[in-house]
Amino acid sequence: MSLPLVLGVATALFGIGLYGLLQRRSLVAMLIALELMLAAISINVVALTTFTGHDPSMGQVVVLIFVGVAAAEVAIALSLFVAIHRSAHDIDVEHLSELKG
Amino acid sequence: MSGPVTAAVVAQAAPLAACAVILLWLRRRPGTAAALAILALTVALGAAVYMVAAVAVPNTSLLATSVWLPVSDGPGLAFGVLLDSLSSTMALVVAAVTLAVMVYSLGYMADDPGFARYYGFLALFAWAMLGLVLASNLLQTLVFWELVGLASFLLIGFWFERPGPAAAARKAFIMTRVGDVGFLLGVLLLIRAAGNATIPDLIAAAAPGGAFTPGFTTTVAALLLMGVIGKSAQGPLFTWLPDAMEGPTPVSALLHSATMVAAGVYLVARMHGLFAAAPDVMRFLLWLSLITALAAATMAMVANDIKRVLAYSSISQLAYMLMGLAAGSVAAGFFHLVTHAGFKALLFMAAGMFIHHAHSNDMREIAGHTPGRQRAGAIGLVAGSLALAGVIPFSGYFSKEAVLAALGEHAGTAVLALAYAGAGLTAYYSFRMVFLTLRGGPAQAPEHRAGAGGHAPEHGRSELAMAAPVLVLAALTLVLGWLGAWFASRLSPGAEEHGALAIGAGPLTALALAAAGIALAWLEYGRRGAARIGFVERMPALRDFFADNWYLDRLYAATVVRAAKALARAARWHDQTVLDGAGDGFASATVGGGRLLAHLQSGYVQMYVSVAVAVMAALAAWLLGGGKLA
Amino acid sequence: MTVQGWIFAGAGAVALFGALLAVGLRNIFHNILGFALAMLGVAGVFASLGSDFLAAVFVLVYVGAVAIAMVYAVMLSHPLDLPHRPRKGWKIAGAAALAAGVAAALWSMVRRARWLDLAPGGDAGAARTGARLLTDYVLAFELVSVLLVVAMMGAVMVARQRRPGRGAW
Repeated sequence: MSLPLVLGVATALFGIGLYGLLQRRSLVAMLIALELMLAAISINVVALTTFTGHDPSMGQVVVLIFVGVAAAEVAIALSLFVAIHRSAHDIDVEHLSELKG
Repeated sequence: MSGPVTAAVVAQAAPLAACAVILLWLRRRPGTAAALAILALTVALGAAVYMVAAVAVPNTSLLATSVWLPVSDGPGLAFGVLLDSLSSTMALVVAAVTLAVMVYSLGYMADDPGFARYYGFLALFAWAMLGLVLASNLLQTLVFWELVGLASFLLIGFWFERPGPAAAARKAFIMTRVGDVGFLLGVLLLIRAAGNATIPDLIAAAAPGGAFTPGFTTTVAALLLMGVIGKSAQGPLFTWLPDAMEGPTPVSALLHSATMVAAGVYLVARMHGLFAAAPDVMRFLLWLSLITALAAATMAMVANDIKRVLAYSSISQLAYMLMGLAAGSVAAGFFHLVTHAGFKALLFMAAGMFIHHAHSNDMREIAGHTPGRQRAGAIGLVAGSLALAGVIPFSGYFSKEAVLAALGEHAGTAVLALAYAGAGLTAYYSFRMVFLTLRGGPAQAPEHRAGAGGHAPEHGRSELAMAAPVLVLAALTLVLGWLGAWFASRLSPGAEEHGALAIGAGPLTALALAAAGIALAWLEYGRRGAARIGFVERMPALRDFFADNWYLDRLYAATVVRAAKALARAARWHDQTVLDGAGDGFASATVGGGRLLAHLQSGYVQMYVSVAVAVMAALAAWLLGGGKLA
Repeated sequence: MTVQGWIFAGAGAVALFGALLAVGLRNIFHNILGFALAMLGVAGVFASLGSDFLAAVFVLVYVGAVAIAMVYAVMLSHPLDLPHRPRKGWKIAGAAALAAGVAAALWSMVRRARWLDLAPGGDAGAARTGARLLTDYVLAFELVSVLLVVAMMGAVMVARQRRPGRGAW
């Protein structure tokens, strides 16, 4: 288990998340992919602090705060999706293009 | 400024002020406009009289200028006033005839809706013509020359709603413009060579012993002559003048017989010192004007429109003036100009009275309206024709004698013989006109007589306005002839003196030819039971040839006009397809590009994300690869 | 290979497998389950790195709360009764290409960097983390709590049913 390997796993996870973000039509599916990307970033942070700085608690603090913010974001995002569905009756991101032009 | 110079300035300023005021503010007040114009011209006339008294009578010369465009080496362009016998007399003629025409127009144009505009344009013309006459420098002359052309355009096309006058105005402007190109080139060459354009300086430089070489003088003289040919309707550029008769008759009286077309003659007289130093050009002018004189006379012999007869006659008489000048006698040419101004304006105005009455220009129709009842008109027509034909004691006789005498002294026998022939033709066609108009045709229908009688009471005051100038000018034709000696002393000093009443082979021949012409006309048209067909009219081919401007217009239409139209079509194609197309193409490319770019703003979140991510990935790759710009 | 190495390998494989399920399957519930599996894998990775407190937090928050909330949201908003719409080929290809490209770029960055020290170490204990949170980073800690409260209030307000006649809010 070496640093590049851990970072490689995180990178792969990030790539999968990116694929999902760009490819899925449903807003909730995009959110899931986004969360995957955030998780990959968290792995990166912890791995870097564990392997190089010999101060893993620093990384853990960062990731904890990160998780808190991510949770808040998920809550608001999901309630927004519900509200969007109520008004547009559709959460297909390909149809929600009012910013067009 | 001394007295005469002030008078010169006033003479120009008064009509200019009247023109500006009329055209700006008095368009809806025709009466005030006419009154203002007539007032301005009266002031100008007074100033002209003063100038003549101050300068011409004592035979002095005054040049007053102020520098307008300084030039580093040389005196620079100075505008101002050149006063001598020639210019002050011409100014007097212009002011007098313009005033007479303005009074006449009170009657002639009385019911026209554009009455005020008409007087404004007449005032414009007066300013331009006086400016031309009094100019001290050739460039100034050119400026006024063009302004006079503008006034002519505006006045010929006065009834611009009709296609005829509009086309005639364009034709006049374009044809004179062709000549003016030469004039402009000549002036520019002169300015370049002499450093300034003041007329006395130029003449001195052109004279033998002056700064110009003979070759240069000849070139410049030829170029200036182009302008003369255009403006005075000679040679190949004459066809605009018969068409210019589409304008109102007083305009024809003023511009196209007495003054504007005479500007070309005036120019030659003014620059005579320069022209005299280019004998080849003068010889060319002599022959050109001789041919023009004869050609125009033939065209006058077959015309049925009274104004066209007079137009051709003007061309012919202008040619005689130029012949006198080409033969070396400024006095003869100018004297004929003055008398011609008097009797041609008279003829036009008399004709106008008939036209106004009969509502037609055709002499045969006028004859049906018993024109003999219009006494003033008839007197004017006959007096003018006698002057035109050169019958003693009318003014035309004396001036034509002077021209013929000059030709006899300096030109060859051939020229003289042809000139005499032309005089005979002149008498013939002018009395053809008189007899066709005044002698009634075959029995008229009763309604014509009733119509003629019915007009008289309504137009009492306008008839007076028209009749008065006609009678005044008719009286003048008996007086002007005696001024020949005065002109000779002022304008051609040193030339042989000819007594006004000299008897000799020359005068007698001329009188005999005039009598013959009149007799022939009476034979064919005047006497009771005459067939009213001229000897030329019996030859249809010849008649058509003469009537159609010797087919010159057809030649122009087939060549120059076609070429110009083809060029215009090409230019239009280029403008529409290439230039507009480029502009439109540019615009549509922009719009198309914009539409393409709008696809970027799809409102589609995943597309935005992908673009952002792609850019970042590219940036990362670039940084990894070295990360340098270029 | 050490024990840690084996744990890491297994957890990593589970995480990646779960992620693939989360983005690849068609049924949204399957996606959520895959997501939960992936988060379990991530927690395992944290554990193998010595951050067991973090692993526990991840399981609690993500698997326990986020995934459940997502199920709620799907129930309330997803067009579950409509047939699945077909996925566009070019979209899949493009997204895959772009994701692969980005991953490749990141991977090459990782490879090129000269890492300082490649053996894990240091104190990753919860006690130390907790002490740091409440002393050096207490401001951040408190702000996150405020953020969570605000987020909760915002979520409630956004998702409320508007009753007519009761005013804007």
